[in-house]
Amino acid sequence: MFQLFNLIALTLSKTSPLLLAAFGGLLSELSGVINFALEGMMLAGAFAAVLGTWASGSPWIGFLSAILSGALIGAVHAGASLKFRANQIVSAIAVNLLAAGLTGCLLNEVFKVYGTSPGVEALPNLGSILPLTGVPDNMRSLAQGISILMPAALVICIVVAAFLKWTVPGLRLRACGENPEAAAAAGLMVLRIRFFAVCIGGALAGMGGAYISVGELSQFIENMTQGRGYLAVAAVILGRWRPAGVFLAALFFGCGEAVSEWLAVRQPGLPSQLFLVMPYIACLAVLVLYTGRRRPPSALGRV
Amino acid sequence: MRRRKEEGSRGERRWFFQRVYALPRLRIALLPVSSRLSVPASVAAPLAVGALVCMAMAFAAGVGPMSLIRTVWSGSWGSPDAAINTLTRMTPLLCTGLAVALAYRAGLLNIGCEGQLTIGALVSASFAVATPNLPGFLLLPITLAAGAASGCLWALPAILLRQRRGVHEVISTLMLNYVAIYLCSYLVSGPLGDGTAMGRTPPIPAGAEMPEILRNGSLFLTAAPLIALLLCFGARLRLSKTVWGFEMRAAGINFDAAVNAGIPAANRQIGVFLGSGALAGLAGALEVCAVHHRFYRSFSPGYGFDGLTASFLANGSPGWLWLSTLFMASLRSADKMLQIGLNLSPNSILVAQAVLLLSVACQGRIRERIEKFSSKVGGSLRKNVSTLQSDRADAL
Repeated sequence: MFQLFNLIALTLSKTSPLLLAAFGGLLSELSGVINFALEGMMLAGAFAAVLGTWASGSPWIGFLSAILSGALIGAVHAGASLKFRANQIVSAIAVNLLAAGLTGCLLNEVFKVYGTSPGVEALPNLGSILPLTGVPDNMRSLAQGISILMPAALVICIVVAAFLKWTVPGLRLRACGENPEAAAAAGLMVLRIRFFAVCIGGALAGMGGAYISVGELSQFIENMTQGRGYLAVAAVILGRWRPAGVFLAALFFGCGEAVSEWLAVRQPGLPSQLFLVMPYIACLAVLVLYTGRRRPPSALGRV
Repeated sequence: MRRRKEEGSRGERRWFFQRVYALPRLRIALLPVSSRLSVPASVAAPLAVGALVCMAMAFAAGVGPMSLIRTVWSGSWGSPDAAINTLTRMTPLLCTGLAVALAYRAGLLNIGCEGQLTIGALVSASFAVATPNLPGFLLLPITLAAGAASGCLWALPAILLRQRRGVHEVISTLMLNYVAIYLCSYLVSGPLGDGTAMGRTPPIPAGAEMPEILRNGSLFLTAAPLIALLLCFGARLRLSKTVWGFEMRAAGINFDAAVNAGIPAANRQIGVFLGSGALAGLAGALEVCAVHHRFYRSFSPGYGFDGLTASFLANGSPGWLWLSTLFMASLRSADKMLQIGLNLSPNSILVAQAVLLLSVACQGRIRERIEKFSSKVGGSLRKNVSTLQSDRADAL
């Protein structure tokens, strides 16, 4: 029974960053901008969270700076692909490279270290804020492994889904992705809406990065997102660009990560690479097997 | 009788559509592109902008532009050792850059060079280790071919997924990268390793080593850069002078128009993508045979992604890859000098590369701005086709 709870807790904490990034990607893709830059946004967020926490002493300031830096990276991507009409995938690859280089550079320049930053204070976890009197010790340690950002991520996802489905700005955003000519004819500033969508998407992905660096751990490691941004993109595609689908897809990938980590502890005899590679193989397998109607927003990638 | 006649006329109509209507249309569609790809002009402007941004960033870090240029020069071409080092680093970039460029011209984006290169390197190294008894003149070519074939096989699922299941090749090649790197890391620390905990294969037999053409102390240069350069210029000729190249470019520019013109566009794309994978695998095999003489864990320091940057710097044109890879290899081999001489982080090379890639990706608009500016200043400068197209999009 405890093992099951352990697995569930692990799944929740692995899913949350993916969920945040995937919903950020969903916002920008529904507005018509391909977002392969999620990886860079997450990495920048992860680093900015540690940097902000280190500089100010408060993890919440770090969280804020993660949001800002994610939005900033989003602005670079949106500027290149909308204002300068770059190929959106190429621009995203450049942005990812930029984030990897800049975080590495700043890590060397600011902290004077290579590879791993010094530890900083982490965001509070569920174990420290919930009144857990009379709960067994092992359950309490599970709650301490889950960051406060986990329920926040769920709330943010619901808010984004409701925004897209029921509000006028959400409808306008989707219109920009489906038929930008009609949206422009109806008087919408298509490029501006797309720009904001990508920036807010970047902010969400930055939050996801902050979850990895100051939520799950309390330090920054060079290239610590390890392709989670790409998994988030895959989750958007797999979820057919619908909030509920994206949620399920992110949950699936998070579950894959959790199971591989859970197994790695319990089966030390198996090669470690097997566990590391599992989420990517799961992603490929699902993309192969799942042949439902997959229709992206019709103006995706078109400026 | 009447029915046959009708059929004939329908066939005639199709013939008319393919030969008289669609093909010339396609040629017209290709024309502005070939003039737009006049590489020196289109790449010089964004390169200059990128270089300016890089210098401004270096200036912000407290390094003057002249000392930056001098350090990069002395680190990459200042001594025979540095020059050999730069040329050695250029070889895999030429191959992966060509791989990306070819796929891009056929309308595909091969992000999977990193994985294909790793697989190619491991397979060629293990092949050479397993068959030391082959005669010398056979061993080297077969080893290289094994690397290329395995890279080709690693690219196969991505293109099949795209054609059969509609999975975008960018996402599948990315995932295959991770799978390849972890798979090779497992194989080299287990079944294919040399028994130590170093995570490497045994050294390849001497017969599989690429012959040296130049030696300076412990550093040496092999024929590998020449092979890569020949491949590039061969690809350039094939692309511009053969029917195959024309059909492949047509498939890349407008898939539906190409199909309507009777070009087997899907097959061309599959062929090009497999060739692209083979080139990336060959890059790994060349690296094994010419430089390291074995495979070890975390083999590639990002040659796949560097190839992506190099091919976009050359605007997807194989004939100009030598210049862009020369530039990137110079930057890469100067990174130690930057760290020791100017106290810059080695990651600053990544930033410089990203800025360059970004400015090249934005090149259409940057060039437009410069042309507008210069036509304001210097009188009438011909607006090109891309400006007209973009004006239409501006109305949006």
